[in-house]
Amino acid sequence: MTASAHAIRQRLRRVPPSVIVVSVLLAAIVLLAVFAPLVAPADPNNQTLLARLKAPGFTYRGVTYWVGTDDLGRDLLSRTVYGARVSLGVAALSVIVSTMVGVSLGMLAGWFRGWTETIIMRLVDIMMSIPAILLAVLTVAVLGPGFLKLVLVLGLTRWPRYTRVAYAQTLQVSNLPFIKASELAGAGAVRILFHHVLPNIAGPILIVATAEFGLMILMESGLSFLGLGIQPPSASWGSIMSVGRQYLERAWWIVAVPGVCLFLLVFSVNVLGDWLRDQLDPRSRSR
Amino acid sequence: MIDNLQIVLELKDVAVHFGGRAGLLGSSGAVVKAVNGVDLEIRKAETVALVGESGCGKSTLSNTIVGLQAPVSGSVKIGGDEVVGADRRKLNDIRRKVQMIFQDPALSLNPRSTIGATIAEPLIVRGIARGKALKDRVAELLTQVGLRPEHADRYPHQFSGGQRQRVVIARALALEPDLLICDEPVSALDVSVRAQILNLLVALQQRMGVAYLFVSHDLSVVRHICDRVVVMYLGRFVEMADRDTFFANPKHPYTRALMSAVPEADPIAQRSKQRFILQGELPSPANIPSGCAFHTRCPLATEICSKVRPELTPRPDGASVACHHV
Repeated sequence: MTASAHAIRQRLRRVPPSVIVVSVLLAAIVLLAVFAPLVAPADPNNQTLLARLKAPGFTYRGVTYWVGTDDLGRDLLSRTVYGARVSLGVAALSVIVSTMVGVSLGMLAGWFRGWTETIIMRLVDIMMSIPAILLAVLTVAVLGPGFLKLVLVLGLTRWPRYTRVAYAQTLQVSNLPFIKASELAGAGAVRILFHHVLPNIAGPILIVATAEFGLMILMESGLSFLGLGIQPPSASWGSIMSVGRQYLERAWWIVAVPGVCLFLLVFSVNVLGDWLRDQLDPRSRSR
Repeated sequence: MIDNLQIVLELKDVAVHFGGRAGLLGSSGAVVKAVNGVDLEIRKAETVALVGESGCGKSTLSNTIVGLQAPVSGSVKIGGDEVVGADRRKLNDIRRKVQMIFQDPALSLNPRSTIGATIAEPLIVRGIARGKALKDRVAELLTQVGLRPEHADRYPHQFSGGQRQRVVIARALALEPDLLICDEPVSALDVSVRAQILNLLVALQQRMGVAYLFVSHDLSVVRHICDRVVVMYLGRFVEMADRDTFFANPKHPYTRALMSAVPEADPIAQRSKQRFILQGELPSPANIPSGCAFHTRCPLATEICSKVRPELTPRPDGASVACHHV
C-alpha cells in the first residue's frame, strides 16, 4: 500500500504544468456548478427590466453586474454559474451513458462476430445515417423536455461512434495471443472483455469521449435553442448563448461570457483526456 | 492399462476444414482442408516436434488440440478423455491439462496487466487459489522459470524478450498441464537467449514430466530438444520417426528437401552437400493436388503419385513414411 502511495507521489511529480492548469480550471468549473447557490451573486431568474442589456461593471441601485445583464435584465454571472450545472451535468452524464452503451455493444460485436456483429453493426449504420439532431428532436417531441430526458436522448443517440471504435479495436485486440492464452486459462467472455480487451482499447475510446463531451454541450445548447432542451427561465450555457445571438451587435457579453466558459471547459477536458490516455498505458508511465 | 495412462494426447483421423458453407452475407468459397486425417500419440514427458512449411496446418492442428478450433471429424483425446463433442464444463476440465506457449512473447502478455496478474489468471479463473496461497503460487512459478518473486508487480514492457517468454511459460505451467504446445517458442527470440529458453523447457520437463508438442521449422532446434519428429505437408503427416532415425536417415523426399535446406557449420561439408531442391510453390490448401499432395513438387514423382495417395506406413527402422518410392 505504501509502495503504491509512493508511486502515485512519484507520478504526480511528473505531471506537466499544462495538465495541472487545466485540472485546476476544470475543478473550478465543477465547484462553481456544484456550489452555484453559494457562489452566484444574485438569483439567476430575477429580472430587472430597467437594467436590460447592460455592459459588464454596470451598477444599478447598489448592485454591481460584474459581467453585465441579459435581455431581461438578469445577472449574467449568476445565470452562467447556474447554467454550468445544466451544461456540465448533461454533457458528463450523456457521455457516460453513450460510452457505456456504445462500448459494450462494440465489444460484443467484435468478440462474438456472426449474427451479433451483423445486427449491432447494421444498427450502427442506421443510427449514423440519421442526423443526430433530428433523432433528438423526434425523441424529445415524444418524451417531452427535461434534464434527465435530455441526458437519455443524447446518450442514446450518440453511442454508435463509440461502437464503431470499440468494435474495430476489439477485432484487432482479440486476435492477439494473450487473448488466446486467457481463453486457454479458462476465462469466460465477460472476463476477457473487461480484463483484457477493455484496458487495451480504452485509449481511442477516451479520445472519442473527450471529443464528444464538447459536442454534447453544443447539442444541448442546440436543443435548448430549439426549445426542446432546458426550458426557460432555467439557464444553460447553450440557451444563454442562443438568446444572446439576437443581441450580438448591442450586447456581445451575453454570448461571450458563456462562450468563453464553454471554450475553457472543452479545452480542459481535451487536454486532460489526452494526458489520461497516456497514463492509462503502462508503457508510457515508466519512461 | 498403465500404458494408456502414459498417453497424454491421442489424435485419431483428425480433420479440420474451413469455409465452404454459404452464409447470408458471407462468401461461399472453396473448402480449405487445413488438417486432413492425422493420427498422433504423445506420451508423458515426451517431446514431439511438428515440422513443416507455413500454411501446412501446424497452427490449425495445435489450435485443435487446445480446443480453440473444432475438428470436422476424428477424435482428440487428452489424458484419455474425449474432447470432441464434450459439453462445456467437461471441456473446460479437460483443457486444463493442455496449455500453450506462443511465438511472440511481446504479444502473448497483456501489456496492461502486471505479470503477477497474468500468471495468476488461470488460478483465479478456475478458483484454484486465492489470497496468500495465490501469491505464494505465483512466486513459486516465477522462481521455477528463473525469475524473482518480486517481479510480479512489473509490467511486460519492463522485461526483455527472453524474460517475457519465461513469464509465458510460468503462466502455462500454472495449471500443471500434462502437455504444452510450444508454437515456435524461440523463433522470435535473439539467438543468444534461445538456448536458455530451450534449456529451461528441458529442465522443466525433467522436473515435472510435462510432454511437449514442439511446433517449429527450425530443424537445428528440433534436433536439440525432441524425442520424435513429425513432418507435415498440406494437412497430412508425411513422415514420423524417432529423432536419431529421422536425422540419420530422412526418407520422404519432402523431408530430405527440408534437411538439405539446413546450412552446415562446416563450409566444406556445406559445399559438398547434395542439395535436394523443390520446384514450385506450396499449393493452396483450398486446392490440394490429387494422389500424393506432394507430387507437384517432388523430384521422384511418377504417374502413380498423382493417382493414388500413399498411406503412412512403417519401415524396418521404425520410421513411418507416406511415399510410393521410398
